[in-house]
Amino acid sequence: MSDARMGDLTGHLELSAPASVESIDLTHTLLEHLWQQNPQVDPACRLRVETAAIEVMANIVEHAFKHDGSLAETRGSRRLTTTLGVHADGVVVGFCDDGRPAEIDLSTVTMPDETAESGRGLAMALAAVDELVYDRRDGRNYWSLLCAI
Amino acid sequence: MIEFDVRTLESGVGAVTPRGRLNMVAARQLKDILTTLSSDGVHQIVVDLAETTFVDSSGLGALIGGVKSTRQMGGDLRIVRPTEPVLAVLQITNLDKILRPRDSVELAFHE
Repeated sequence: MSDARMGDLTGHLELSAPASVESIDLTHTLLEHLWQQNPQVDPACRLRVETAAIEVMANIVEHAFKHDGSLAETRGSRRLTTTLGVHADGVVVGFCDDGRPAEIDLSTVTMPDETAESGRGLAMALAAVDELVYDRRDGRNYWSLLCAI
Repeated sequence: MIEFDVRTLESGVGAVTPRGRLNMVAARQLKDILTTLSSDGVHQIVVDLAETTFVDSSGLGALIGGVKSTRQMGGDLRIVRPTEPVLAVLQITNLDKILRPRDSVELAFHE
């Protein structure tokens, strides 16, 4: 859904940054700007979007680039583009990265038991928003999420 | 961005206050703090979430890790005063039982 839906957005925000844990804080900041521009989005929806967006981003940083650390030719050159906007249907967030394919089938993701220390991220993202889609095209990963207003 | 306040109460209970967002970056710092407390022999820990504006799965993982490691030593990690966003996340992840919120730092181990 990302390209078509993003194309309809007016005044959307976009950030292209290195795919690193430090960029997660930048995404929080970008979301704060989005809420300032769109005060009609209620606090519950804001939390749902922020939860899902940060979990997806953490997943990308953790998995798509995890083998890059020792490769001088790729270190620091991987980019992650984040696009945020408010559509007539809701809040839309898209991520595009050039990392490894995400080996994930979202239809099989479930919440782990309460003592698990990891593996909860994508289950939280799925629980938080109305739509979460992953697609691999032209050597890139595309993630998009929608939270209905 | 986040800051942590770490202190030991007169009762010997360790009190940790994260101020800001408890995300992937901050979760690593929290894990280190909990490990240090454990090395110092502090196995009763209260995490005051009154100033934690956001928590993600990494932050939850750090808290669950703290619950498990303290319980192995006969202690516990308890959370107090979660903000609304944090409470909502505890509920959607079904963690509001293992991380049952208490009302105050001082009384967290007296309930």
